Amino acid sequence: MMDRSPKPPEELMRAIAQDLRPVRPSPQPLYLAMRMVPLALLVSSVILLAIGPRPDSGILGPLLTWGASAAQFLLAIALIWIAAHESTPAGRLPRQMVYSAAVVASLVVVFVTLLTFSTSPADVTLPVPPRINEILRVSPWIVGFACGIGSTLAGGILVLFFSLVFRNSLATRPTVAGALYGAGAGLAINAGWRIACPFSTPWHALGAHGAAIIATVVLGAIIGASLGNRRLHVGARRS
Amino acid sequence: MRAVTNAPRAAKSVMVSEGDQELRALMIRYQGGSLEAFQEIYAQLAPGVRRYLSHLALGSEIADDLLQETFLQMHRSRAAYNPTYAVRPWVFGLARNVFLMNRRAARRWAAVHESREDLPEFPVLPEADRLGSQDEIRRCIAHLSPDQAEALLLHHEWGFSFEEIAGMLGIGAAAARARASRGMADLRVALNSLQRARA
Repeated sequence: MMDRSPKPPEELMRAIAQDLRPVRPSPQPLYLAMRMVPLALLVSSVILLAIGPRPDSGILGPLLTWGASAAQFLLAIALIWIAAHESTPAGRLPRQMVYSAAVVASLVVVFVTLLTFSTSPADVTLPVPPRINEILRVSPWIVGFACGIGSTLAGGILVLFFSLVFRNSLATRPTVAGALYGAGAGLAINAGWRIACPFSTPWHALGAHGAAIIATVVLGAIIGASLGNRRLHVGARRS
Repeated sequence: MRAVTNAPRAAKSVMVSEGDQELRALMIRYQGGSLEAFQEIYAQLAPGVRRYLSHLALGSEIADDLLQETFLQMHRSRAAYNPTYAVRPWVFGLARNVFLMNRRAARRWAAVHESREDLPEFPVLPEADRLGSQDEIRRCIAHLSPDQAEALLLHHEWGFSFEEIAGMLGIGAAAARARASRGMADLRVALNSLQRARA
């Protein structure tokens, strides 16, 4: 049993003395979330820079094209901010707020999808040879698959970056913290992807893009849990 | 009989606030690589953190291991501390985190309960100390719901504000206040019942 006097036990002092290099204090959650913005913006814009805005952006108008994506992007940053709070022992937000943010984010995605479809439901012809357009018309799952895999990969890159930033997270619920920044990554990617992707059917937007968001949430949760477990093993060694 | 209230102890709160300024300064020095600052932080916080862990672990001897683990985690994650946070809630939150991680890892929650022979060492609230013997108060606190007992002790014994407790437990400040208040009310009822039974 340890000495109960306020003096640290020898074993602990040895461990502390072994590594006393100066460290830079972690930024506040808001500042941490804001630091993610440039990379999130860059990765979510890659597809947009590659193929340009969707052909029906004129029909949708700037509010539904850019405004809705900006709202999703802001929600993504808010989720990362909540994840940063969740990762701080003394700064956790009420559970209701955490779960409400996740529900609001889901509803916004669904709402924007349905609004986009109701405004521009027509099939889009891609600027590719007619034969390919015909194949895509007959087998729309190919486009769905491409969008799903593409945005999952882009989201995965962001999740990996976020998990690097959150590697020292002290979350009581590391899986939840991971799922939150995973959701932030997925939402940020979707914000850019939806401006480029010309397919507005709910089946495509929710099935393919939505699945990619779910995939990044799961990836974030797995990484968060494994980072938590890494700390857990340190704690369990003594047990 | 002294009235049992849910009001925070003002004098102690002021002391805590001044003490936390000093702790913040120590924490910044510790982040800069000062071993003496760590020792001072340990000296100031370890007794309280140990009592808190003892409360969480229901008096199990594991509290000593958890205390060591808490300060080890604090060392590993010292970069994660931001000087805008108060140090005490941060360290107590970390201790809670360590306890929960340990409980998850070892699945010893049930074992802790089963192996418990003595009452936990957690303190007797000054607000309740005239309502019964120390032993009775400990027993009554041990029978409160864990959420209520935790909020009650964090506020009345360790002097945390409801906002600080909210940040540590991931609940709203109003919920923290309600838990502490209900805990105190239940404790009062339990102690009064004991007194009536004695009479």
